Amino acid sequence: MSILTIYHLVAIFLLCIGLFGIVYRRTLVGIVLGIELMLNGAGLSIMASAQLTPTPNELGQVGALLVMGIAAAEATLLLAILLVVSRRFKNVDAGKLITMRG
Amino acid sequence: MDNLVNENLAWVVLFGHIAIIVAGGFITVLSESLIRALMGLILTLFGVAGLFFLMAAPFIGLMQILIYVGAVSVLIFFSIMLTNAWPGGDERGNIKGKKVIFAALAALAPAAFLGSAAVRTVPPSIFVPEETEVRELGRFLLEPYILPFELISLLLTVAMAGAVMLVFDRRKKK
Repeated sequence: MSILTIYHLVAIFLLCIGLFGIVYRRTLVGIVLGIELMLNGAGLSIMASAQLTPTPNELGQVGALLVMGIAAAEATLLLAILLVVSRRFKNVDAGKLITMRG
Repeated sequence: MDNLVNENLAWVVLFGHIAIIVAGGFITVLSESLIRALMGLILTLFGVAGLFFLMAAPFIGLMQILIYVGAVSVLIFFSIMLTNAWPGGDERGNIKGKKVIFAALAALAPAAFLGSAAVRTVPPSIFVPEETEVRELGRFLLEPYILPFELISLLLTVAMAGAVMLVFDRRKKK
């Protein structure tokens, strides 16, 4: 087992625990937490694949930076969507949001 | 001798950070209070930042702390505060047998496939990664990677404008 495998297993753990959180949580905020975990695992995996192999290091570092930028954009939008949903439905329970009418 | 001590120290740091990540992950998905879950997420983010430092990429580690711990978790904290996801009770009474089974299945399916793939293909890896200068990183971002760089700035602008539009629109209707 090489070092890269250990890093990849950690990234897979983050992906799986994020998926678990998305299915298990009831509120939308809890689901957002799961998504953040999964994105972090993606960044870690990209980074390890470039740093620990002969691939140029810049490739992985820039990839991890882009993942972070996407996560930031996604968090901004999710905050706005959560605000709108909580104003309209008075709660953010994922099981109770069953209508999409505008 | 000195080299051996350094190597052992590196292993200790690696597994210490992995322990932090695992503990934070479980706190994030299992704790009843959302504030505690957010604290678990922050713990995980710090653990991943530590792994970035260990991979000789201090710049990305600092960016991780700055962007994730500094910005994204504050945003999530705001969304806990502003919505009615009140920290005390919202995730309480969550334990339904069926849901736990589905969630565990959702988690274990990729774990089985990707884990076995990762263990079976063992690429030769470097034990001591080299550090890349930030100058090199900037040059790389501005010369071969100029298109993703511009696209991500566009994405951030659109996301911010969209967030403002969403919230403003609702306020006007009221």
